[in-house]
Amino acid sequence: MARIKVHELRGKPKAELQAQLKDLKNELSLLRVAKVTGGAPNKLSKIKVVRVSIARVLTVISQKQKAALREAYKNKKFIPLDLRPKKTRAIRHRLTKHQESLKTEREKKKELYFPMRKYAIKA
Amino acid sequence: MLYELLAATSKKADDKTQALKVAKAVKSGSTLKKKAKKIRTSVTFHRPRTLKKERNPKYPRISAPPRNKLDQYQILKYPLTTESAMKKIEDNNTLVFIVDIRADKKKIKAAVKKMYDIQSKKVNTLIRSVDGFSSPCFACYSHLASHSTVNDMGGISEQA
Repeated sequence: MARIKVHELRGKPKAELQAQLKDLKNELSLLRVAKVTGGAPNKLSKIKVVRVSIARVLTVISQKQKAALREAYKNKKFIPLDLRPKKTRAIRHRLTKHQESLKTEREKKKELYFPMRKYAIKA
Repeated sequence: MLYELLAATSKKADDKTQALKVAKAVKSGSTLKKKAKKIRTSVTFHRPRTLKKERNPKYPRISAPPRNKLDQYQILKYPLTTESAMKKIEDNNTLVFIVDIRADKKKIKAAVKKMYDIQSKKVNTLIRSVDGFSSPCFACYSHLASHSTVNDMGGISEQA
């Protein structure tokens, strides 16, 4: 079997990826049986290859799923928690930029009528 | 001016009629009748049945349900090929598998059906702790409906 290339996988539709996953898993189970019943070394070395390709396919499947979900929730007000930016807890709970910039009427007027003046000194 | 006078008089008339109405009602005693007082038969006060609404979230907390990680490939790891296991295949029409420890008998039965198309009559399980295994695995025996299917399983009968 040819080596699985990820950029080829990304082009495939979901159903095809699932089918490929099934084939790989079947192959893996056969190889495992062969391992127990004393199979040929070429079979045994294939186990790692198959396991890694299964991982690749699963990665592509989940990446595609995530991307599609993000598209679906693009302009909605509430999005699921795992699609929100993760950052750190402290950062998420900080005041937003807008909230920080809010000023009272009093403060705004003060700034308007009494701004910080710059003076130049004559030598 | 005349219109105002007329309006004033009609208003007075309305007020009067309304006053009369209210007096009548009070006399008949229907408006001020108290609601029948509730009889309490118990000393304790229990919360009355209130409205219980079903969940209707504005957004799912997890964007997509996680995939089933214990599928049939994960459950059946590999068959056991020890001498005693081989004997069981020949004599007792059973297969012996090493199985994921999180699987229960029902799941094992279903997995065997899916993987090898075998109808198992009975599943026995036991937990082994073998040297070198970080996590114990089930060894499971399943009695099979037909003997012919035992040989169909790839690789096992070759050993015999």
